[in-house]
Amino acid sequence: MTAPPATHTGGWTGFPASNGEDPAAGTAGFTILDALDVPVVVVRRDCTVACFNKAAADVLGIVPSDVGLPPRDIAVLAGTSRLERHCREVVAGGVDSHVDLPFEDKWFVVRISPWRRSDRGVAGTVLTFTDVTAFRASIQNAVYERECTKTILNTVGDPLVVLGADHRIQSGNRAFYAMFGVSREQTHGAPLYQLGDGAFETAGFLTRLQEMIAGNREFVPVEVDGVATARGRRALLLDAQPLSFPGHSERRILMTFQDITARKQAEAAKDLRSEEELRRSEAFLAEGQRLSLTGSFSWKVATDEMTWSEQLYRIYAFEIGTPVTLDLIRTRIHLEDLTMVDKMVDAARRAQQDFEFQYRLVMPDRSVRHLHAVAHATRDQDGQLEYIAAVQDVTARRRSDEALAKARSELAKVARVTSLGVLTASIAHEVNQPLSGIITNAGTCLRMLDADPPNVEGARETVRRTIRDGNRASDVITRLRALFTKEGEFTLESLDLNEVTREVIALTLSDLQRNRVALQSELAEGLPLITGDRIQLQQVILNLLRNACDAMCDVHDRVRRLLIVTEREDAGRVRLSVRDAGVGVDPESMNRLLDAFYTTKSDGMGIGLSVSCSIIERHHGRLWAESNDGPGTTFSFSIPIDLDGVTDATPG
Amino acid sequence: MTDKRSLVVSVVDDDESVRESLPDLLRQFGFAAEAFSSAEAFLASEIVSETSCLLLDIAMPGMSGPDLQEELQRRRERIPIVFITGHGDSTLRPRLLARGAVECLLKPFSEDALLDAVRAALRRPAGAA
Repeated sequence: MTAPPATHTGGWTGFPASNGEDPAAGTAGFTILDALDVPVVVVRRDCTVACFNKAAADVLGIVPSDVGLPPRDIAVLAGTSRLERHCREVVAGGVDSHVDLPFEDKWFVVRISPWRRSDRGVAGTVLTFTDVTAFRASIQNAVYERECTKTILNTVGDPLVVLGADHRIQSGNRAFYAMFGVSREQTHGAPLYQLGDGAFETAGFLTRLQEMIAGNREFVPVEVDGVATARGRRALLLDAQPLSFPGHSERRILMTFQDITARKQAEAAKDLRSEEELRRSEAFLAEGQRLSLTGSFSWKVATDEMTWSEQLYRIYAFEIGTPVTLDLIRTRIHLEDLTMVDKMVDAARRAQQDFEFQYRLVMPDRSVRHLHAVAHATRDQDGQLEYIAAVQDVTARRRSDEALAKARSELAKVARVTSLGVLTASIAHEVNQPLSGIITNAGTCLRMLDADPPNVEGARETVRRTIRDGNRASDVITRLRALFTKEGEFTLESLDLNEVTREVIALTLSDLQRNRVALQSELAEGLPLITGDRIQLQQVILNLLRNACDAMCDVHDRVRRLLIVTEREDAGRVRLSVRDAGVGVDPESMNRLLDAFYTTKSDGMGIGLSVSCSIIERHHGRLWAESNDGPGTTFSFSIPIDLDGVTDATPG
Repeated sequence: MTDKRSLVVSVVDDDESVRESLPDLLRQFGFAAEAFSSAEAFLASEIVSETSCLLLDIAMPGMSGPDLQEELQRRRERIPIVFITGHGDSTLRPRLLARGAVECLLKPFSEDALLDAVRAALRRPAGAA
């Protein structure tokens, strides 16, 4: 046996080329094997080294003297009984085998392949040493990194889970499993939606995950309420991000869960608190409105959109919450105030200005409410004109004002009657003094004349005093008459009532115009002449016109129309009527209108109508008042044409 | 009638008609009559102590009739008083009678009424005023 050159660089060492057992099939095989930087060692069936390549010499330190020795005798392979056993198994079985083999600071994977001879018998094994030191280190590193990560993830308090693209659970951290009270084994591969008692099965949530996986959209954290957990129903904030690995087509989802139940409860409590505060301040406002009988509303002019406070609904007696329109409001407004209110609304539309006005409502039960409105013009956030208004129910105040005025009127009457009593006493005194003198003087006179001899001079003196006292009494009566009637005389003449009326109209025209009263006269044609006192009848007509005029001085929302009518009545009478459009007379006052000293006017004497009444009665006529169908009152008197002919029919 | 002559009837009234007419009538009845235009004038005169009957107006400027009545009572002058008044107030008479007046005549009054009142005054025992 000729030993082949046994040098490091000599390539294939210890190979018996001559016996045809060359594993590398010729010279070319030597070159190829030596060119490999992977150590290759050929071992005979008896487990002795047959030959080795250059890399085996370089890397494993096998020397030519090792040829023929069993592997256990080779330093590099010492202690590798495993290797020897593997070799025998390969020889016996003819199948490749692997074995990991540490050597110095390296790790090798030794591949053991059968060395077949040309007759197909197994002559030994071929050992190929692959250096896996670096690979092993990287594997170990990965395992270490993975363990670290696992530890870190398990110590994170917030639950984390990795889902597949199909939303199935792959792996979660400890907190995740604890949260749902499940084990890793129970949930692996299960869809996430099986957890949380269906709370995750919201379409939006699913869609978002899918869109994120498709790479279309970033996942926006989503709150899921009522998730069933080991701690009961919780509110969770879910966030997700896609996980992708270079070279991996599979995408996964990392999902985190944050328990926000406490925060939500705190927020809810805070909302409740602020809601409570708002509710309380609203309650205060509503109570204030209720107590002050003041409602409020806003009116967006452009859209006619109105918002009413509850109290305003109560004032108008509309059901709370009814949509309010101007048309609806108009149904409540007093007919006499409607024109004025419409004008106000129009003016409010045209110009931005503040308003203050009073108007009346007629309620379903026909009662009247007096309202006082104050409106403030403003601009809303869009710059549109908007009115904010307060409306106060001043009915009670009005009523008390009216009651006060009435009481004052009554008081004035009492005062006048009282002063009349004083006047009467004074008149009586004034008359009684001279009367007393007259009687005394007359008695004295008689006695003086009866005396013997008669005291004629004394009697004359008493008669003179009697005449003087008589005149004195007469003077008192004259003064009295002048006090009550300017015209003491009652002069009858034939009169045309129309002419008498026209004279009065002519007298009062400028007065009527100054008071903006529109006078309309309808004087009947061919009215028969009457017998009466021109001046006194004119006083009556004048009085009626004045009253009508006064009754309309507070009328501002309609024409102050005054209609004076003369007409012939049946049974030989003529009638004159004065119709005003004034404030009217309430039924109670109507009965008392003709009472002496009754007046509804603060500056009235209260005797105008009673004097008029007595003048008409002197003409054997009557005077009366009636409420109109519309606003105002009509005063009329009717007198007979022939004063003498109806004397017997004089009313009492 | 000589006894009557010694009986002085005084008239106090601010009204001239009364002052002129009433004394003449009283004299016709046989009394001595004196007239004064005010209570003050009467009190200042010598006649107070001689007066047997006083015809006294109620409402007068200055001291009124009732004022004079009070003053006379204070002075212990017990003169019977007949009030005469032009103010016909029905409540007045009982009040004046309660305060010691003999009568209260409302003007105009008749001769008979006057004479009855004066006679009643004169009949009244001294100290009853």
